[in-house]
Amino acid sequence: MKKLLSYALLIAIVIVSMMATIAYFTPPKKVPNYSDAELRELAINKGHKAMPSSLDELISLVDDASNPMTQEKITLGEELFFDTNLSKSGKTSCATCHSFDRDLKNSGALLKMLTQKEPKTNDCAACHLRDQSGVDRFTFSQGDRDTMHPHLLNTQTILNTAFAKHFTWSGEVKSIREQSANSLLAHHKLNMTKEDINSTLAKNPKYKKLFAEAFEDGITFDNTAKAIEVYVKTLVTRGAYDKFLDGDDTAMSQRAKRGLANFINHGCKGCHAGRAFGGESVQRFPLREFAQLYDVKPNFEVIPTPKRLDSEFPFENNGGYLGKGDAHLFRVPILRNVTKTSPYFHNGAVPKIREAVDIMGRHQLGRHLTLEQIDEIVAFLKTLEGDIVDYRETK
Amino acid sequence: MRRFLVKFFILLMFISGMAQFKLFDISWEIFRVVQPLHIAFSLLVMLFFMNSFIYKHIRRYYFVKKTNSMDGWMLLISFVLVTLSGVYLLLVGNRGGDALGAVLFNIHLFGSFVLMLFFLWHITAPMKQSREPLALLAAILLFYPTISQSKITNLSNLEITKNGTKSYHSEDWTSSAKCKSCHSEIFEQWSNSNHKHIAGSNPYYMVMETLAGEVEGEKFREWCMSCHNPSALSVGFGKSTHAMDGNFVSNEHFEKGAKTLLKDFKEHGNFRLEEGVSCITCHQISDATSKGNASYKLLLDRKKYAFEDSKFTMPHLFSEKLINANPSVHKESYSKELYKDSKYCASCHDESHPKNGIKIVSTYEEWEKSPFNNPNDKTKHKSCIDCHMTNLSEGKFAPLKGTSTDGGTLKKDVKVHYFAGSNHFLAGLRDKKNEEQTVQLLKSSAQLDVAIKGKNLEVGVKNIGAGHHLPTGVADFRELWLDVEVKDKDGKLIVSSGKLKSDGNIEDKSRLFQKVFGDENGKPVGLLFWKYKTLLSDTRIPSGERRVESFELPKDAIYPLKVSVKLNFRIYPQWVSDKVRKVFPILPNPSIIELQRLEKELK
Repeated sequence: MKKLLSYALLIAIVIVSMMATIAYFTPPKKVPNYSDAELRELAINKGHKAMPSSLDELISLVDDASNPMTQEKITLGEELFFDTNLSKSGKTSCATCHSFDRDLKNSGALLKMLTQKEPKTNDCAACHLRDQSGVDRFTFSQGDRDTMHPHLLNTQTILNTAFAKHFTWSGEVKSIREQSANSLLAHHKLNMTKEDINSTLAKNPKYKKLFAEAFEDGITFDNTAKAIEVYVKTLVTRGAYDKFLDGDDTAMSQRAKRGLANFINHGCKGCHAGRAFGGESVQRFPLREFAQLYDVKPNFEVIPTPKRLDSEFPFENNGGYLGKGDAHLFRVPILRNVTKTSPYFHNGAVPKIREAVDIMGRHQLGRHLTLEQIDEIVAFLKTLEGDIVDYRETK
Repeated sequence: MRRFLVKFFILLMFISGMAQFKLFDISWEIFRVVQPLHIAFSLLVMLFFMNSFIYKHIRRYYFVKKTNSMDGWMLLISFVLVTLSGVYLLLVGNRGGDALGAVLFNIHLFGSFVLMLFFLWHITAPMKQSREPLALLAAILLFYPTISQSKITNLSNLEITKNGTKSYHSEDWTSSAKCKSCHSEIFEQWSNSNHKHIAGSNPYYMVMETLAGEVEGEKFREWCMSCHNPSALSVGFGKSTHAMDGNFVSNEHFEKGAKTLLKDFKEHGNFRLEEGVSCITCHQISDATSKGNASYKLLLDRKKYAFEDSKFTMPHLFSEKLINANPSVHKESYSKELYKDSKYCASCHDESHPKNGIKIVSTYEEWEKSPFNNPNDKTKHKSCIDCHMTNLSEGKFAPLKGTSTDGGTLKKDVKVHYFAGSNHFLAGLRDKKNEEQTVQLLKSSAQLDVAIKGKNLEVGVKNIGAGHHLPTGVADFRELWLDVEVKDKDGKLIVSSGKLKSDGNIEDKSRLFQKVFGDENGKPVGLLFWKYKTLLSDTRIPSGERRVESFELPKDAIYPLKVSVKLNFRIYPQWVSDKVRKVFPILPNPSIIELQRLEKELK
């Protein structure tokens, strides 16, 4: 008996000391302290360049030979984007879900709404229209006649998609043009048919003129999608981060700079790549679901009841969507303006940005980010917040 | 070996216990480690070693060797007493509610000295000659000054200025949900109060904060947040947030008992920040001045008992036991004399424009000049909490006898956390008891009188109950007015004032007691109260004073006249509620409270 006990004790000591040794020799990842110039260079080298500040620069970066960007198309696209007639009920437009104030100066949306006798916007938009976020801030998207998305998917931001290579949550759509067409036709979005659209547009002399100016073949369904694509491509935001890259050291706080260093060094930038910080690839999520198959916490309860975690997602999967090919493959979301687009993940299950960062750290990086790191990264993400650049002014 | 261990263990238990003795005043960092170690170690030693030793020891000497030792039996008695009192302290604690706790605490503390004396006597019995020097040595060892250390105060001052320069994390803001397990009644009161629902779940506030951000720039929100939402401000949030329920704004402002908060805490612990005015927002204030605009200092590095922050149930329960066993540090770190002082409340209840310094709310200044501020005569002096945190019953102050901690000391006047003020409406959405307390307080504030002077009917309103103007606070958004009806002998209505229009607003030319703000051009500011530059009118009633409103009577009035006067109060004007409802469509209308009513026949 005594022997058994001492062996058990010995084994316990060995195990504990092994764990301690491993922990000791795997210290937390050290993120170097960069000077402002070094950090700027690092960010640019990793591809996180600033957003263009002039239309010419933007066009040189994102123009597509199959649908060249022209001023006429932009004008037409804008009209189409905000036109509620392009929906079955006549009340929904692209901007219903991809919401932002058409007046880019965006002053006084709430005050306007409060003082209007018959407010035109809904109650959420009263406060959030001025966010200029390009989303509806809903948990799941609701299209024409409030039809819910069949998979209860959250609306993704339309801003900065000019720099994306994949679209929608599955990333299977390859161009904005394609997705514009999908959205016009989908029953849970604008719920139109090609014929409906053509006839609606043809009835309106304004469109006859605009289409004739923008396209050789006038009003067609394809041209509608093309014009919307060109307009959407001009919806680009610039924030404090871009100012920092342009040489203004004071644009970002020390905390945000540490956050950027964390973002790059911990490997977030691997997927959230490029100018838009995402949208360039399709990746698996959660990558490390094995890390927490069982929640061991309840083992310390008065009555131990270990529970198996939802092995699909680290949150409740309302809507049951499983990504591209049901294989947990998702387009990497764009992080520009992410702090304005809560709730997070494909079904909007995570309401707070800090929690989203924590989940990404644990399940994509396999790392328990410290509170300090999480708050720094959030501070950095806030610097990606910005208003839509009014390119008519920058010309 | 066993004999050596016994001595070693007893000494260790004694020293670790003594280290917690107030007299030594050891640093908190050491205290919080020593305390659980003392308990855990003592339990282990008692269970697995000491009991069997005592049993064998008695058997061997008393029963087998037939030796009887008086000091041995005394030692046993003191040992049993100290052990049992220790177990009681762990399981029940010394919370103050039962005298037994205090008695056993002292038995445990002073009994251990007795125990040590008997112990020394007992073990030195076989070697009587060398007793004295040993006892002396032990005493020197025990009380050697190095054991007590000077207090380390590396506690940093949080001073939430409008720039929020210092950075904190969500975990620094211990969730109020944690306080519930021991302070259930006060938690319940607070959870439905307007202090809890002062940020994200307050529709009026959310509209105003957003509007302020829109009109004055997003940074301007920080001014609002420094009092309404200091936790969010301190961790670097730029705005207050509201919870969502699917695609709808959560109806948290209707929700009783802070359900969302409790759920959040259960699922996310302290990782999800608690927004608004939480328990520790007020109870961690270390210093405050009466300047207003959040002129308080917050100290978030408070003294925590071992395992207090543990995410697991067992260690957390243990930490509660640790607090209960020796709660003095807990009490001290959450309550200060300052909290009884009016300037403590003034730090947020006085308000001026952050840039031009124009005073917008001056409740404290009003109180300072009022008869309620009477520091020379303590019997007449009444601070904020004497009215706003004292229980009311049947329209009178009826200090609540009870406990503030479950099982705690019985107090003559438990400070209730309804924070009864004037906003009966929002609190009433959640809790009728809270609303009723507020309405009682409101009704005790004023007195009406009527008389005919010449051709006029004079209605006097005296502020008898408030230590500040009536109304105070955001007095531009409060409606206190006279509803007057005069009928002549035949019952014909000859004077009428203060009725509601069909849209719910009070008719023009009514007699309102209020402050009207104008902007730089002398136009009413409407919702944008921070635009206030010129005072258009101030008809509020200062504390203890009487205001007279006169109504002209028709010359041909046939006496006697039947006069009916009501003093009405509405927390938000109709036009304000109408605007807020555009954003929060389910918000009901605030009801009109009749503060006083006077019916009189005048000849």
